[in-house]
Amino acid sequence: MTFTQFSLGALALLPLLAAALTMLLPHPVRRALGVLVALLVAGFTAPVLGSVTSGELTELVLGGFDAPLGIHLRGDGLAAVFLGVTSLVGVVVTGYAAVLPKSTGAHLSATSWVTSHPGFWPLWLGCWSGLNAVYLSGDLFNLYVSLELVGLTAVALVAVGGQSAWEPALRYLFIAVLGSLMFLAGVGLLAAVTGTLDLHQTRSQLDELEDPTLPLLALTLITVGLAMKVALLPMHRWLVPAHSAAPSAVSPILSGVVIKAALVVLLRCWLWALPAVPGMQWLAWLLGGLGVAAVLVGSVLALRQDRLKPLVAYSTVAQIGYWFVAFPLLLHGEHDGAPLGSGAYNGLVALAAGHAIAKAGLFTAAGFLKDRCGTDKMSALRGAGAHHPVLILAMGMCAVGLLGLPISLGFTGKWQLATAAVGAEQWWVLLVVAAGTLLSAAYLLRGIAPLLLQAEVPENAPAAGPVRGRERLGEIAVLIFGVATIGTGLLGAWLGDLLEVGAWW
Amino acid sequence: MSTVLDLGLGVAVLIVTGLSLLARSRLVMSMSFLVLGVLVAIVWLRLSSLDVALAEAAIGTGLLSALLVWLAVRSPLPPGAGRMETSHRLRWLRPAVGLVAGTVLTVVTAAVWVRADHRLPAWGEPAQAQLPDTGVEHPITGVLLAFRAYDTLLESGILMLTAAAVLALSRRGGLSAGSTHQLSIHQASAALPPVPATLSWAARMLTPALVLLGLWLLFAGSTDSGGAFQSGAVLAAALILLHCAQVDLRVFQARWLRPLLVGGVVVFVLAGLVGPLLGLPWLSWEPEWAFAAVLVVEVLLTAGITAGLYALFLALENPEGVR
Repeated sequence: MTFTQFSLGALALLPLLAAALTMLLPHPVRRALGVLVALLVAGFTAPVLGSVTSGELTELVLGGFDAPLGIHLRGDGLAAVFLGVTSLVGVVVTGYAAVLPKSTGAHLSATSWVTSHPGFWPLWLGCWSGLNAVYLSGDLFNLYVSLELVGLTAVALVAVGGQSAWEPALRYLFIAVLGSLMFLAGVGLLAAVTGTLDLHQTRSQLDELEDPTLPLLALTLITVGLAMKVALLPMHRWLVPAHSAAPSAVSPILSGVVIKAALVVLLRCWLWALPAVPGMQWLAWLLGGLGVAAVLVGSVLALRQDRLKPLVAYSTVAQIGYWFVAFPLLLHGEHDGAPLGSGAYNGLVALAAGHAIAKAGLFTAAGFLKDRCGTDKMSALRGAGAHHPVLILAMGMCAVGLLGLPISLGFTGKWQLATAAVGAEQWWVLLVVAAGTLLSAAYLLRGIAPLLLQAEVPENAPAAGPVRGRERLGEIAVLIFGVATIGTGLLGAWLGDLLEVGAWW
Repeated sequence: MSTVLDLGLGVAVLIVTGLSLLARSRLVMSMSFLVLGVLVAIVWLRLSSLDVALAEAAIGTGLLSALLVWLAVRSPLPPGAGRMETSHRLRWLRPAVGLVAGTVLTVVTAAVWVRADHRLPAWGEPAQAQLPDTGVEHPITGVLLAFRAYDTLLESGILMLTAAAVLALSRRGGLSAGSTHQLSIHQASAALPPVPATLSWAARMLTPALVLLGLWLLFAGSTDSGGAFQSGAVLAAALILLHCAQVDLRVFQARWLRPLLVGGVVVFVLAGLVGPLLGLPWLSWEPEWAFAAVLVVEVLLTAGITAGLYALFLALENPEGVR
């Protein structure tokens, strides 16, 4: 067994082991162990990224039992991209939470509410284990189990934000469980006619199937269930309260990577598990339509917020729309002989990866300001930027990524999406991208501009107090996200090469 | 004869489901849910899925009902008295939409399901062929702890983290006071209601029997139906009975609950690591020591599941403790 194969297993199991161990430790040791594990996970991600870069797909047959009996882990291009992004977001957020423990929530001591929450550590490490398991899994039922691990820990991470976060967390729990059940129902339907759960074998079995009704129904159930978990527009109402009520160290994880886990499963089902079946186009166009609605409605709703964290959360709702706008273009390659519009696929992944980094940065910054000033009302944050020039600079860089200006992955993604749209002669996509970009410029300006205004900050306000060294370190976390948003923009071509590994088309 | 029985069972399931959804009193709802669980366990038995029936009876019915009944007794307010506001003008709209959507979904799925060309699971034959290498004789235990051990490991991780989540919401975030690093689940400050002598007596009498049953389910799992999940549920039920009879378990809770809770997952991952150290894939058991590995993992998983389910009960039993 090579070290890369060892890494595939370790990426999922090491954080789980650490999550178990942290439960026995006092709070300061939990923080230290968390940082150590974050660095180790990033270390295990490196060989997977390396082997995928050299064009090699690493496969691990767990227990030595081949599919359909056992489970395969596959480190392909899609997995590598999201492993890399999650490691980046994970390491920075873990460091942020370790340096500023008050960003991990609030718990009830014997008598009163205290900021900082020791429960953050086992839950976050468990969540990370589930995320890595989702990316690597090559088995439909295992995808369900991993997704449950992510969903459950994500709900609990919202709930550690204190009493005001409990209701959003409960709502999130209902949606997450309902979405999982629909996914499981679809997987059950597929397994009944294929007799296997392995992604590749499912595909080859379904290829032989003559009647497309059952795969189509299964795909519909899976898509609706996962769209709930991604928070595609009409099913987005849970996201805003959950992501804005979550603790400062949790919101970047939720908006940055947790919803991407459901997106990855959706891509695995659409592109790997199921062959192109007649009728799939309707579903893709429906998703495209909902995506357009999400871009426009989400942006307008973001414009109407007067608090920073809900504004950033609505921006997530809008950005989710772009990924689904790409869905009709995915199937469009069929006309010119190619089984799949790989340009749209690359664009979708670049947009999602770019969003993960930029949004993690913006949510960390919003949480930082909320923790420092005690509120995230934009009228109260006027002039807060005067004490935090680095933070404002970093927020600006993240905003560049969300807007999709060069150079950033957001730009690469929008460019590839637009190119694919022109190739397929779907001109409306250009209109949506343009409108979405203008609207996002408006709401980002609305969010960031008040921080830059000259304002008399009352001397006794918490924002006027001296900035502690730890807080300066916290600002560095946002700066890393900002620099990464711009820096990853240079990697667009490499991303395209990565995504070809393990793509069957 | 058996058709009549099955039809009767089906109708009974429908009636009890309706009762558990439509009743206005929480106690009636919880009780109907309990009966529903028993009926569903019988349905699984009729489908000759003994393992599922056992799991349903132990976890779905036993533990969940214990919690629901306890909550119903504590706060008997009818459901709907809380937040959920319904608009007065279109009161019929929500149930109507739900009914139509549910009917359409069921009819379409059932139609497609019945028409589809079903295929037997392709893993049946290889499972039989490779079962001797796993050290166990019961195919379900083989699937759970060898062929798809990874799924089981992640599932036990889910249970552990559920307990972690519930503990995190109780006082002190699941940590204990001072430097003792022991579990402190906040206990009710008000005095507990007096326990009838019969309950206390019955709990003490029943516990040895339950422990014996739990251990039998655990060890039977290698050759017959049963296993860690069912056994853990029965053992947790024994703990809950003792707790309800106000037997003092505080030392056990403080010292042992959390180590037991994480022990199963920790040992499972470490056992999975033995494979890579010998140059094999993750989670491989060599035939020579497969039985030992599976047994150790299963025993510790049972302890972890027991502790997890008991911790869920403890924390949920006293919702005021976290407010």
